[in-house]
Amino acid sequence: MTRADSLLLLLLCLLIGGLFRAVWSGGDEARQLQLHAETGGRDWPLTADRLIEVDGPLGRSVVEIRDGAARFLSSPCRQQICVRSGWHRHAGAVAACVPNRISFKLSGGAASDYDGLSY
Amino acid sequence: MLAGYAALAIVIHILEAGLPSPVPGIKPGLANVITLVVMLRHGWALAAWVVLLRVLVSALLLGTFMTPTFLLSAAGAMASLAGLWAASALHRLAGRPLFSAYGLGMISACLHISGQFFVAWRLFVPHPGLLVLLPVLLGASLLFGLTTAWLAQNIVSRMRPVAAP
Repeated sequence: MTRADSLLLLLLCLLIGGLFRAVWSGGDEARQLQLHAETGGRDWPLTADRLIEVDGPLGRSVVEIRDGAARFLSSPCRQQICVRSGWHRHAGAVAACVPNRISFKLSGGAASDYDGLSY
Repeated sequence: MLAGYAALAIVIHILEAGLPSPVPGIKPGLANVITLVVMLRHGWALAAWVVLLRVLVSALLLGTFMTPTFLLSAAGAMASLAGLWAASALHRLAGRPLFSAYGLGMISACLHISGQFFVAWRLFVPHPGLLVLLPVLLGASLLFGLTTAWLAQNIVSRMRPVAAP
């Protein structure tokens, strides 16, 4: 390996690393939260921190929005799967409390116009 | 001599086309070993001849001539030859070789996949989702470029030296 070789190798590694970061960084930041419940749906912006209380067949669930991310803070369901799924911040992310018939989906960013893509 | 090198490259190319690949688009590019050997021993012009003959004759023998496969193969070959030409132009400017087999192998392999990728993206699948594959393909090509360069280096060092053209 000459010095030019090593330089080239370094540059290529940087380029490939940069490409990986650019392409595989996990999607766009979400901007909006679409909440669905049996009583209807409503959109909330993710820019303002707030607690949203929603009533379902089992009782009251609480969705928390903080720092552009959202989670189920609490829910009256037995298994607490929605709560344990934790914080969501990327466009396209979905969380649901199935027993209480409440779900939210994050949207925003260019790719969220599609459900899925294949080629 | 040209025919001999080209024949070797064609045989390797066709054998490799018969090998299954774990990931579409990724293959070692062993035929490029011959390109590198010719490039190191006889310069760019002869290497270009070997590459063009290999791409054309392999396509005719494999029955892929003028199909998308051939277009991809030719695009990769052109990009890779352009890169090798730039490298040899640099060497002429500097008055001495700057890149060894490894540098040339990396240039050739990475540009080969870039050329292919560009054609695939512009002509066949013009979708941003394809970009996700680019870093993977480039990474693989870098590794295989170094591997073929290592092979070429070993072959050249075992061959009788030629008078510089």
